[in-house]
Amino acid sequence: MNRFMQELTKGLWKELPPFRLLLGLCPVLAVTKSASSGVGMGMAVLFVLTLSNMLSSMVRNVIPSKVRIACFITISATLVVAVELLMQAYAYPLYLQLGIFVPLIVVNCIILGRAEAFAAKNPVHLAIADGIGMGLGFTMSLTFLGSIREILGAGTWFGHPVMWDGFQPFAVMVEAPGAFLCLGLTLAAMNYGTHRQLMKKSRESAELPAASPCGGCRACALGRDKD
Amino acid sequence: MSQSNNDILLAISTPPFWHCGRTIRQNSLHTLLALAPAAALSLIQWGVPAARVMALSMVAAIVTEAVCQILMKQKLSQDNGTAAVTGLALAFLLPASAPWWLTLIAAVCAMGVGRMAFGGYGANQVNAALVGWALVFVSFPIPMDPNAAVLHTSLADPLFRAKFFGGAAAADFPLADLLLGRQLGGLGATQTGALFLGGLYLALRGVIRWEIPCAFLAGTFLVASAFHLADPELYAGPLFHIFSGSTVFAAFFLATEDSCCPHRRLPMTLYGLTGGALVMLIRVFGVYADGAPFAVMLINLLAPMFALIRSHPFGTGPRKAKRTSDNEGRARS
Repeated sequence: MNRFMQELTKGLWKELPPFRLLLGLCPVLAVTKSASSGVGMGMAVLFVLTLSNMLSSMVRNVIPSKVRIACFITISATLVVAVELLMQAYAYPLYLQLGIFVPLIVVNCIILGRAEAFAAKNPVHLAIADGIGMGLGFTMSLTFLGSIREILGAGTWFGHPVMWDGFQPFAVMVEAPGAFLCLGLTLAAMNYGTHRQLMKKSRESAELPAASPCGGCRACALGRDKD
Repeated sequence: MSQSNNDILLAISTPPFWHCGRTIRQNSLHTLLALAPAAALSLIQWGVPAARVMALSMVAAIVTEAVCQILMKQKLSQDNGTAAVTGLALAFLLPASAPWWLTLIAAVCAMGVGRMAFGGYGANQVNAALVGWALVFVSFPIPMDPNAAVLHTSLADPLFRAKFFGGAAAADFPLADLLLGRQLGGLGATQTGALFLGGLYLALRGVIRWEIPCAFLAGTFLVASAFHLADPELYAGPLFHIFSGSTVFAAFFLATEDSCCPHRRLPMTLYGLTGGALVMLIRVFGVYADGAPFAVMLINLLAPMFALIRSHPFGTGPRKAKRTSDNEGRARS
């Protein structure tokens, strides 16, 4: 059960799909114009990812490993068609909003990546936990980016106006450049936080941070101390 | 290495190096001096609104840089004047009728996103002033449009005329008027005559490399001539395009920011020519009337590619130091 919780929570921060693994960036950039479409896309991916992980894990000992990729794609394509039809039936406005990006979930790197890297090697319950965790992390990230872009770019959050009267929407945020800008700044902030944590840890234990991207020569920290 | 040497860091940078006894501070003071005539002329033309925009933009840029440097635990470097230059360059691109919040957002974005997010002066890939300008220009098209009614002026934007009424409408604007800045547009960027003189001063002082503005203006001239010769009714002449809008400002002050341009003669020439040609292409085919700032942003991004052209380290490679641009050297290398 401990392992189950571990697989469930790793997707929420440690391996947060778009921001840590940098997987599935196409929907992250394309459908985060508003928080609600971010949530919708995230839920669709959560559904597909969990079920595809489960099915891939169930068939992992049955299919020959040479054709496993094709099998994973078939599984996810089946699920995506199901999601598409369900969306058309029960959430038609959302379906119109997401457009081509719903069918494109099939080729989303996260789906295939998790099936190949995790579900193909682990038992069913862990694969489900992994799918739920990753899907929730993905939903969180999309909602986060969508909220920033919607609040700055349109002055609303989930369709409700949240800014003061006379607020001039920052229109570039809902355009394509705004997506890159938001993603880049978010990544920079997360990297900065990670780097700082590593530095703090290395200063406490006087050991070099092996995982630091620059190899951990501590030069930057020394230069900063000097100032 | 002993413990005491540990805090001495070896700064490594790549060739080519330029030898001059100047400091960053002196360079920015020279740049401010070169911008001064244009600023004075724009003050005469637009009055208090222009002074307001310029002052707010410079102050906001300097304060943003200071705040970012404090947050990033860097040494404060406001005394070298680069933030002031960026703020003034940004103000030159804004219309004199820009509301205060627009100027503030532009300046904060220019220094925050355009420069400090990359690590500070010299680390930015794209001219910082242009980043701020582009963000507000795309976001707020209505306040960014110089409003003749608010500014109590009867001047018109020559580029709008040329774009929407054909090249023949460019005849409404005598060259002397364009040179003296009697045109609607960015508050300082349209003072083309004064900016041209200021740019010449910078090039003669060696603060900027003369190759870049020369090639930039040459590129604009060549492509504009080609269009003009093809259909003089539809496309205005080359001199009109050079001295209207912000072409001169872009050539001398924006394209030459040290961290964003290549540094050898052939790459610099190609860089400038590409920029000049892009100005015309955007003006003719693009949705915006003035393409110069966007052209500069594009060539800024291409600068690392240009820098790869014949990038032999000093003392190696088949070419001699003198043969940088002639055909013989090109054939050999």
